[in-house]
Amino acid sequence: MTARRVVVTGLGVICALGHNLAEVWCALRAGRSGIGPIRSLDVSNLRFQNGAEVREYDTGKHFGSNRADLLDRFAQFAVIAAREAVGDSGVTLTPELREKTAVVSGSCVGGQSTQDAGFVELYRQERGRVHPLTIPRIMANAGASHISVEFGTTGPAFTISTACSSANHAIGQAFRMVRSGEVDLAIAGGSEAPFSMGLLKAWEAIRVIAPDTCRPFSRDRRGMILGEGGAMLVLEPLERAEARGARIYGEIVGLGMSSDAGHITQPSVEGPARAMRAALRDAQLHPEQVGYINAHGTGTPGNDPTETRAIREVFGAHADRLAVSSTKSMHGHALGAAGALEAVATVMALHQGLLPPTANFIEPDPECDLDIITHRARAAQVECALSNSFAFGGLNAVLALRTHLR
Amino acid sequence: MSDPVSEKVLAILASVKRIPRDKISIDTPLQALGIDSLDTIVLLSELEKAFRIAISDDDARSVRSVRDVVEEVRKLAGNVSVDSTAPAA
Repeated sequence: MTARRVVVTGLGVICALGHNLAEVWCALRAGRSGIGPIRSLDVSNLRFQNGAEVREYDTGKHFGSNRADLLDRFAQFAVIAAREAVGDSGVTLTPELREKTAVVSGSCVGGQSTQDAGFVELYRQERGRVHPLTIPRIMANAGASHISVEFGTTGPAFTISTACSSANHAIGQAFRMVRSGEVDLAIAGGSEAPFSMGLLKAWEAIRVIAPDTCRPFSRDRRGMILGEGGAMLVLEPLERAEARGARIYGEIVGLGMSSDAGHITQPSVEGPARAMRAALRDAQLHPEQVGYINAHGTGTPGNDPTETRAIREVFGAHADRLAVSSTKSMHGHALGAAGALEAVATVMALHQGLLPPTANFIEPDPECDLDIITHRARAAQVECALSNSFAFGGLNAVLALRTHLR
Repeated sequence: MSDPVSEKVLAILASVKRIPRDKISIDTPLQALGIDSLDTIVLLSELEKAFRIAISDDDARSVRSVRDVVEEVRKLAGNVSVDSTAPAA
């Protein structure tokens, strides 16, 4: 079977910037950050106080109590995003199409708040037992499983856990299944809800969280800010989307993956560069066709200069002619959901001709000497974009996307 | 510079990285001991426990040599009384 073109026809998102696509895009284009004091937990014993939490979230608005019993917060975000994406796509899930629909989700840490609550019951309260639904709530594949149950899709469904690259790997696998003809529809993205004390303490211990806010590529950046949420994309072959008159947000044209095979936490230049090159090759793009990169851009002292060097290595002189931003400055670093939130931002940037900015930026860093879009979105209709994700463990995944021209 | 603080820091460093104590001197750059950023975090965590101190992330990022580490600990833990006749361990 010849390779098919793969387009994005539905988007769904919930994160610190809002509970749906319209709210989130409104914040992204305005450069409004969702980072603020963590409210869901008492963080007075932590070295950092800020996060990018989903505010005013009411489980009861989205799930009946019996269903909610089965769902950790991270899986709720996956289902909520998938509902919006499928609704947004307008696709009719016939019995035939359900069998040919894939669900691929990313999650780094699974049901953390459930696990933490279980540990409190077990070790602190010495109750000798935990909730009987602990296992189905904490399993990292709960998001994919509940999405497939929700829509009755019976095609391939699985979860990828590659730390901060999870969602890009997930969207990438879904893209390849649609491209090859293995499936005719895919719901793909990621979700995460990392605000549990045990996990926050672990992030504190590894010393990469900023005490203030996330300032990617800014000289005085002091680290990343954790975020939560979920984002899902509906992918389908171009021919099917056109045949049913679907709105097409953009096209996914390539996936590039690599492994640093080096240090477990320190990023390399070569690994990310190889992933970007692989994405360009997979998409059959020339570097000059790329006008925007949604950077991994964590805001740590280590990542941003390394990513800058990787971009320079791949794009050469063209690196000065492409725009770069990190939307993590607004929605935070949502770990296994990060790539999905950023894919939504990148697809919308192509669709709207408006490149989202890097918020909280104060002053340029000579070590990050790229054309960083700061504070306000930039109107620009670029042909192609990359969305970078580089994970702890040295696992890199880069998506290549193209503007869909009618 | 043999005092209880530096002796304890060097002993903990030797234990964390499994390096013979006599291979470590106060002026050795951490890098020369094969200590990378992740090892530094583990070392500082052990020192925080041993000295009951809290080292800020910014200070943690700025240490480059064994002396930097000792001075950081001394700044936070204060200087305990030194028995100057005690032999270096």
